[in-house]
Amino acid sequence: MSFTAHNLRYHAEESFPQLYAYLQRYAQRISGPSNANTYDLDLVVGHVVEQLVRLGLIGGGDRSPLTALDALSEAQFMAFLQRMVRNKFIDLWRKRHVPVSAVSELESPEGAEGEDNPLNEVVQPVWGSPPFATPEEAALACVSIQELRNLLKHCIMELSVAPRQLQAVLREIDEIGCTELMRSVLDELHSSLPPLEEPLEHQSQHKDHAHRKLRHCLQQHSSNLTVTVALRLTEYGVQDAAAGAFAVDIQTLAQDDLSDQDVRQGLTGLVAGGFLVWHGENTIHLSAAQRKRLSRYYRDDE
Amino acid sequence: MQKDTPPGTYYTDDKYRRLARWLQDVMAPPQEREAQAGALQGEEAPHFAIPPGEYHPHFYQQLPDFIMALLKYDWQAVSRYAPLLYHLVGCPTCHAGYLDLYDALREAVSVDDDQPHVSLPAQVNVPAARHLVQLCQLLITQAEAVLKQARHEHRDDAALARALLRLAIKSGARIDQSSMRSRALQDLVRVAASAEEGTQEEPPALYSYSPSLAGVGGARHGKTVRKAAAPHPAGPSHEYPAIQLQDRSFTGTITQQEDTLILHLYGLDSSLRGQLVNISVPLGSLIEPIQWLGGNPRAIRSTVAVDGQGALTIPLGRTGLRLDDPKDRPLLEVTFMRVEIHPVR
Repeated sequence: MSFTAHNLRYHAEESFPQLYAYLQRYAQRISGPSNANTYDLDLVVGHVVEQLVRLGLIGGGDRSPLTALDALSEAQFMAFLQRMVRNKFIDLWRKRHVPVSAVSELESPEGAEGEDNPLNEVVQPVWGSPPFATPEEAALACVSIQELRNLLKHCIMELSVAPRQLQAVLREIDEIGCTELMRSVLDELHSSLPPLEEPLEHQSQHKDHAHRKLRHCLQQHSSNLTVTVALRLTEYGVQDAAAGAFAVDIQTLAQDDLSDQDVRQGLTGLVAGGFLVWHGENTIHLSAAQRKRLSRYYRDDE
Repeated sequence: MQKDTPPGTYYTDDKYRRLARWLQDVMAPPQEREAQAGALQGEEAPHFAIPPGEYHPHFYQQLPDFIMALLKYDWQAVSRYAPLLYHLVGCPTCHAGYLDLYDALREAVSVDDDQPHVSLPAQVNVPAARHLVQLCQLLITQAEAVLKQARHEHRDDAALARALLRLAIKSGARIDQSSMRSRALQDLVRVAASAEEGTQEEPPALYSYSPSLAGVGGARHGKTVRKAAAPHPAGPSHEYPAIQLQDRSFTGTITQQEDTLILHLYGLDSSLRGQLVNISVPLGSLIEPIQWLGGNPRAIRSTVAVDGQGALTIPLGRTGLRLDDPKDRPLLEVTFMRVEIHPVR
């Protein structure tokens, strides 16, 4: 019994049992009987299978392009799989700080990041760092990054009416390493942050309030139709005290600037995303949980 | 924040990436945060080394050829694959894939072709259910990635996506436990619907039925409907195999008479009484062995009207699969993971 890349490409269903049996057997051999742990074995085997799917091999048939993997002989393909298993184990053990002596026995003198790695030569492309295939793609991405950053900055600055909430958020941003954004906000507000060692009382409470305001601000400034409808559902829904649910009709959601058709389109998008149950009725009913989820709904403009 | 277009998807600068992750966390619904925490603890949440949102199929699938060219000292490779090379410099996900594959392929080409490497046992078992769950989820996310890329590049890759979904269905049908099978295929209907996009505009469904689960640990053989539960055309004294469907408090069943699959619905809204309806089985076109009535499983027009009690019984199609055969039944259950009722326009 054997299998190759060809089997996985054209007879995936029949080849799965062999593939899993082979990978598991080899993974057990690498991990050693005393260290065998189902979770690790699954993680390693799953990683290799994932690679084969992402590379378009498993189930790709004639619909995904042939690659160098298809040209490997059976022995070569099995060696390829074995190496993937071994590397994943090394990766796992490294992350868990397993004694290096055990790991190093498995490693080749020239590791994956050794001298042969041609990418070591390429530190930065000559014209900067954008990793895109074309300059147009890079420009588009830069614009969307910049727009979102500006929107975020604007929303953070709106927190200035509640200085402790602003402070809590700026500390968070500083902690994640986005000091430049923090400074830019402070500069525009002509303000400064109290020293970090000065504790902020009830910090998590201030942070929660600030996050809620940020979410609302991002939704308010979105020009995405579905986000607008989501926001209006949360704002205009009237609570039925007895049932605890919220209700709002399409005309209320439309206001002056949206047509009924627009609202229906937005609602359909929310239904498709599983945020809402709506079958085309004029009145939309929301549970408290749905309303809460909608208050966090956001999409980039398309 | 939605997973498909999180702010930061294109971010390459590390500080932007961190900012994007923070923003995603601020926007994530509470249950998603819990799910993320669960995943960190190694619980049953799907674990993908390559996050679907950060995966670039167009570049990723060029990696084996690029690496092989490098291993063969093809000096033209760098210029031929320049877009890929620049992408790798800035995309940590694809870069990590490159390193992994480079090492494995280098090892592979050093092996003597004629030398058999490892023997396999003559008899191997079906993969464990947890492996099948992961495989199904992988195939479904891959189909979604393929569709997303095709839309981006204005190409039609629906056939590849559908082949992957079909494979996910077949693999899912091998899972005995209905709860695990549901988990494996939870995104199937959504992705299958996007694979069909553009073929047909449907009004919103009035009812959207799914099979009622047999419960945690429920067997694949499903339920047998007794006379008291619902009337059946096969005759009043029969016990017969059926798939139970449910949408809120509304129920239905799928039964089989010889080759014909029959849908029974009960308690439909009074506005539909005396009306014809359209039945849509969104996964129907992915299941080859069923000949659907009218040819299109997404638009099966009822041949009779909803009766005065809100009941409707109509044939859906013919198949050699048998509801009472434990080998066939899971595939039929997956087929009817979603049954929608639409008004006739």
